[in-house]
Amino acid sequence: MSTRINIGPVHPSTHGVLRLLVDIDGDRVESVEPHVGLLHRGVEKLVENRAYMQNMPYMEKLDYVAPLSYAEAYVSAVEHALGIEVKARAVYVRTVLLELQRIASHLLWLGVMANDLGQFYTVFMWAFRDRDKVLRLMEETSGARMFHVSMRLGGLQHDLPKGFEDRCHELLTYLEKQVDKYRNFLEKNSVFVERMQGVGLLDKERAIALGVTGPVLRASGVNYDVRSNNPYYAYDALGFEPQVRSGGDCLTRYDVRMMEIEESIRIVREALNALPEGSALGMPIRFALQAVQERVSVVKREMPRGECMMYLVADPQQPYRLHVRSPSFANLSALSEIAKGCKTADLFAILGSLDIVMGEVDR
Amino acid sequence: MKIERVDLAARLNEMRKQGYTYLVGITAVDYVNHLEIIYFVRDLAKNTEDSINVDLDPSDAWVPTITPHFKSADWYEREVGEMFGIEIRGRRTDRLLLEKWNGKAAPLRKNFNWNEPYETMID
Repeated sequence: MSTRINIGPVHPSTHGVLRLLVDIDGDRVESVEPHVGLLHRGVEKLVENRAYMQNMPYMEKLDYVAPLSYAEAYVSAVEHALGIEVKARAVYVRTVLLELQRIASHLLWLGVMANDLGQFYTVFMWAFRDRDKVLRLMEETSGARMFHVSMRLGGLQHDLPKGFEDRCHELLTYLEKQVDKYRNFLEKNSVFVERMQGVGLLDKERAIALGVTGPVLRASGVNYDVRSNNPYYAYDALGFEPQVRSGGDCLTRYDVRMMEIEESIRIVREALNALPEGSALGMPIRFALQAVQERVSVVKREMPRGECMMYLVADPQQPYRLHVRSPSFANLSALSEIAKGCKTADLFAILGSLDIVMGEVDR
Repeated sequence: MKIERVDLAARLNEMRKQGYTYLVGITAVDYVNHLEIIYFVRDLAKNTEDSINVDLDPSDAWVPTITPHFKSADWYEREVGEMFGIEIRGRRTDRLLLEKWNGKAAPLRKNFNWNEPYETMID
């Protein structure tokens, strides 16, 4: 005898406006049906009617946890279409900012994940405090805490402020200590570990067949990270190492994300040390309208949540068509397969471990 | 690579057997006189990528489903189908991605009427 229950669309554990229709038999989940589209804003249509630079704020609001990553991917697609080269210093500054954004995003994930697993608010407060330190540092580069709109064609709106490097190094040292502290605290916590160990198992073949991406894919033993397989910016020069584990359960996904924070810290540190002299400033907007070099541009980027692909068909003034392949969309579509047969309470551990942001699922 | 829609499922299945096991995504573009649907596939072991394009007539837009070969195609097909008014034939479920939407208009086509009242677009 199965019972159908409705979870969401407004529920603290669904991370946004996600509605789940769950068939349960006793405590066992027989099937999960995610219902999405409640946050659909038609961004892909809106961008077709606005000039290239006007679309920047739309792109940032796709993923409101890692806005800078989306802005960068979009600007890269436009740069590719217009044939604009990124300045040498801007390449490194962007690498620094992208990795700082990844740290901030993973810290937020850590906080809400611990909340989902019943570690109410201790880790959440710690992680949010540290995320805020990262955001405050990023604020120095643009004046905005989250939605920077600081990317410009060929570079950035502002160069790094005076003393940024020192403050960043200081923060990285602090974060390194904090990550160790979290790992110590959480991995010795039997509630946190046992609710994730062996839960939401996804082996290599299934992970590929279901098309999951990012840390979820790497936690299933697939060595694919756009930063190493299809390197962009300074990742190749800085010797980026993808973090791959083969456990395939929620705890492994946690592990991969924590290792990614550590790897990001290392990358930011090395990028700051190797920062070239010169200007990092991009083109003012009025010079940005150039002849289209490539009608179709495909740009792939490793976002905090996984691989994003921007498919841009360019017109001289605005995008003719922009498709965003968002990582959360790919991961959420696999939820009903991963969660089949799990315990009802584990459903949220699995959903949390996928790290979805509804803004980029619905677009 | 441009192919005909009748060859689509067979061609993609063949590529999957050759190692292109990972589907990156499906998208479409409305070029007004024709629609183009694009499938991106990747060989994870060799780190190579490929894409397959199919041209469609806007008044007779349908493609066969590829879900028997690529499980992950399900949501992409749903999205591209309802946004471009492309019929995906042979699917097990025809639930739309946007729940309230009646699926009659195709918002990402260039002839979409922006000014139509919302009430006429939902069930």
